[in-house]
Amino acid sequence: MNTITLHNTLPAVFAGRGDTGSEIWLRDVTFERGKHYLISAESGTGKSSLCSYLYGYRTDYSGTMAFDGRDIRQLSVAEWCQVRVHNLAYLAQDMKLFPELTALENIMLKNSITNHKTEQEIVGMMQQLGIGDKVNSLVAKLSIGQQQRVAIVRTLCQPCDFILLDEPVSHLDDTNNAIVAQMVMEEAKRQGAGVISTSVGNNVKITVDKEFKL
Amino acid sequence: MSNTSNNYSSKHLKWKLLRKHISPAQLVGFSLASLIGLTIVILAVQFHQDVRPIFNDEESFIKKDYLIITRSVSTAGTLLGGSNEFSQAAIDDIEAQPWCRKVGKFSSNDYSLYATISVGGAGGGAMGTMLFFESIPSEFIDVADSDWKFDPEKPEIPVIMSRDYLSLYNFGFAASQGLPQISEGIVSKVPLDFTLRGNGHNDTMKGRIVGFSNRLNTIVVPQEFMKWSNERYGSGIDRNPSRLILEVNSPGDVKMQRYFDDHGYQVAGEKMQQGKAQYFLNLIVSIVIVVGIIISVLAFFVLMLSIYLLLQKNTKKLQDLLLLGYSPAQVSQPYINMVLAINAAVLVLAVIIMLLARAYYLPMLQAMGTSGGTIIIALIVAVVIMTLISVGNIIAIKRKIKALWIQQS
Repeated sequence: MNTITLHNTLPAVFAGRGDTGSEIWLRDVTFERGKHYLISAESGTGKSSLCSYLYGYRTDYSGTMAFDGRDIRQLSVAEWCQVRVHNLAYLAQDMKLFPELTALENIMLKNSITNHKTEQEIVGMMQQLGIGDKVNSLVAKLSIGQQQRVAIVRTLCQPCDFILLDEPVSHLDDTNNAIVAQMVMEEAKRQGAGVISTSVGNNVKITVDKEFKL
Repeated sequence: MSNTSNNYSSKHLKWKLLRKHISPAQLVGFSLASLIGLTIVILAVQFHQDVRPIFNDEESFIKKDYLIITRSVSTAGTLLGGSNEFSQAAIDDIEAQPWCRKVGKFSSNDYSLYATISVGGAGGGAMGTMLFFESIPSEFIDVADSDWKFDPEKPEIPVIMSRDYLSLYNFGFAASQGLPQISEGIVSKVPLDFTLRGNGHNDTMKGRIVGFSNRLNTIVVPQEFMKWSNERYGSGIDRNPSRLILEVNSPGDVKMQRYFDDHGYQVAGEKMQQGKAQYFLNLIVSIVIVVGIIISVLAFFVLMLSIYLLLQKNTKKLQDLLLLGYSPAQVSQPYINMVLAINAAVLVLAVIIMLLARAYYLPMLQAMGTSGGTIIIALIVAVVIMTLISVGNIIAIKRKIKALWIQQS
């Protein structure tokens, strides 16, 4: 997958509002593989909606979104599963971790269907992010910031063309923000992937090719 | 190492996640209900299979929908010289009844007949007795044509004999005279001579027993032989039959019974009673099977509700698994496996219980002279029912999970 394009897209809940002044909604936007984008937004402007549309689990929008020119509404369930395993890495704002599993189990749940990293690499990434001692802790017992780091490692455990991050560092301090930024950039570079990150203020400290205001 | 990687396999982790909220009580409830329903159904089917041979006396040469009727012999009738014969008008009337398909007349020999049986081979003695023959149209008799014919050029008389006669010999005569009991197979090979006398002729012919019947309480010969012998040895007087054989739609028919009562006809043997008993057997088995099926259907819905509840409680987890890239098929697999395991266990248990129950009642049936029917049909019924239930469960699970694919905003 080389491009993600948005044409005249608008969440159904915003219908009839006219021009919102957004640089994304009701515009023609193209995200290219290998480039880094930041979408800065205020709360309630449809940031998480945008991610859920691009990840295929919500369809309540008008206009067109396309992967390599193909309308994503046309993708079958099987094709979406392929996209989620091979093309699009996604970190949801609410992280979607399973509290009854340990940190490592949560990550392995993803890695076992992608076989992208070894267990040692995963533990190494967790150590880099300062949660090396939490490998076997239940996620329910971790702080929000720790959970966010587990979710980031899990997101990077797959082959991808784009990494879609919904407020990846909202609960992280500057040090960890920097580590996350470096880790994401390295993984993106290794795979030649594009990065699309959203933020309501606390930006992940990656170098950005283009910034959009939502 | 392999243990570690096994602990982190997608299958293991999925099950660890999704088994939450599984209610053992609900599953046990379903399993029990399903087990009871399935056991009732297959036990009823099996019992029917096992009991049926008692009602269908296995006679290959006469079909089961045939009845033999006579007129009641009353003392008054005998004294007043009333006839036991069926007039042509009476026969036509029976033939016109809706329950009757076909009527055949019994004809008897109109000459003197003497039968001799050689016992114990060349050195043994011979037993002889006055005897009689009867015949019915060949279409009522199901014996190979080559066995059931008579050729005056090579006279040999094929005979179907009442099984009672053999019993009478074996248990009455042979036992008291110290003679060996003989089987049907041996009797068929015993040299049998018939001496036919009348009309100035006196001939001896070989006879051959081609079968034994529980229902033809007489000695039956082919009709062509009867016709030939009556012409040769008989007086030439045409007499009405005293017995009729009827092919009927249903031996248990109430209207037919009423007709027989009104006209003073009697049905030979227990066929009518058997017909009724079989009708009630079928009725009772059908009722039991329906009850079993209702219980099975209810059990099916209990499991469905239980699974729906489980999926409902695990909705968020299932959706999150789908977001990780697990396909709906992968996400449904743990539940499908669980259902299949339960259903397979229920199937095996139901068959075991059925076989145990059968082992309990079979000796009673054996005392009645049957060794039971096949268990294949009950097994097929069990597998078919469990397959239908499993397919229903799987379709429901898949549909439910597919419905989780698109989330509401």
